Amino acid sequence: MKLKVYADRLSQPVRAVIIFCEVNGIEYEEIKVDLANREHLTPEFSEINPMQQLPAIVHGTFKLFESHAILIYLASSFPGVADHWYPDDVYKRSKIHSVLDWHHSNLRRGPITIVQNSILAPVFRRPLNPEAVAEGEKILSAALSKIESFWLDDNRPFLLGENQPSIADLSLVCDIMQVKLVGETDWNRLLGPYKKVQQWIENTRNATNPHFDELHKVLKELKEKLQN
Amino acid sequence: MKLKLYADRMSQPVRAVIIFCKKNGIDFEEIRVDIAKRQHLTPEYAEIIPMKQLPAIVDGRFKLFESHAILVYLASSFPGVADHWYPADVFKRSKIHSVLDWHHSNLRRGPTTIVRNTVLAPVLGRPLNPEAAAEGEKFLSASLSKIESVWLKGNGRFLLGGNQPSIADLSLVCDIMQLELLGETERNRLLGPYKEVQQWIENTRNATNPHFDEVHKILMKAKEKLQNPRMKGATNEGGGSDMKRTLHSRI
Repeated sequence: MKLKVYADRLSQPVRAVIIFCEVNGIEYEEIKVDLANREHLTPEFSEINPMQQLPAIVHGTFKLFESHAILIYLASSFPGVADHWYPDDVYKRSKIHSVLDWHHSNLRRGPITIVQNSILAPVFRRPLNPEAVAEGEKILSAALSKIESFWLDDNRPFLLGENQPSIADLSLVCDIMQVKLVGETDWNRLLGPYKKVQQWIENTRNATNPHFDELHKVLKELKEKLQN
Repeated sequence: MKLKLYADRMSQPVRAVIIFCKKNGIDFEEIRVDIAKRQHLTPEYAEIIPMKQLPAIVDGRFKLFESHAILVYLASSFPGVADHWYPADVFKRSKIHSVLDWHHSNLRRGPTTIVRNTVLAPVLGRPLNPEAAAEGEKFLSASLSKIESVWLKGNGRFLLGGNQPSIADLSLVCDIMQLELLGETERNRLLGPYKEVQQWIENTRNATNPHFDEVHKILMKAKEKLQNPRMKGATNEGGGSDMKRTLHSRI
């Protein structure tokens, strides 16, 4: 009864789930669902996830979608997942829930809006939309400010003043990484003001390498392909 | 060391938390933070909750915001909360998480967007924005369709085929209730096509009454005032002490 993960590594929440599996030695079968070729919109995939989104998992007869729900399910169900990813302690756990919830309405809409209206626009057959990109940048900056001033403690490497990463670190960092698609210059411009955020991204990367770099290779490859 | 709940009953997620507490006999002190008067943006409130959001709870020294996180915390921490609200079973629990997550990017963006750009615009000091309201309507319709075709599939009276409500039912139904502010005609136009959704709202209301109706009273009063502008009378009845008075009494 191997876990099946329906995935396109271009998607930030997909990467978070796969990195989590790899770091925690969770055996899984990765089944590619190509977003650019609209495979998530096929009737076959709708059987797996009627919301037609990635990631989705099938574990025996159990199906689940929404990456935060998946990460929590995996942390709760697979032995050997270290406690820091999703602590038993109800106070720590609740704080992680509040970050994951906040993420939906704050950070999540930033990188996606920037990238889908600029470099990824042709891939998804959309027009370029500089106004939408500017909106996305505002959302991103506001979210990064909050992470810098509130979610990140001065002296601790991860969110919520923790010394080890949780599923919240993984989810949010994978989202910010999407901005790499727009190139180093824009990445440096957008992330430049936020020193703690930059360090935290590096901390999360180090804590989950080599899997983090392996999973994010797809962004480099796509960027090179689109620029040529 | 009573639980403190910072609240404005005009806010959908606030109502979900209050109804949950009342239904489960969780003792709490409701402290009013008036959104329309921008009290959530004051330095006094930021001292308590730096992110300036509602609802927020303070339980001893523990502070928490984001209504879903709060509902899960309360269900997990207070004895006597029946299992169906947030089941111990990991499969049922995970499905509830997936509804709550889906909600943020889907239903949540419907009623709020419509209401803020139409009837509540003057109250919030914003211009009317029919285009934004139309966008909100699209979100709402798409979400209600998905609720009917996916979340209400099966023979249960509640989401995910359940015969008893979970925190997901409470959260989503309180959000849809915000449409009451638009008046009967508009509400019926928007909800009309969705018979199962309407039944589910009624089921959730029945399962949590009298608290559901009591907590929604302020919304109904606001609706009357908005639909009948010549009607005088305060809309800020409902439980809890006023935050301004509470803060001033501490100085």
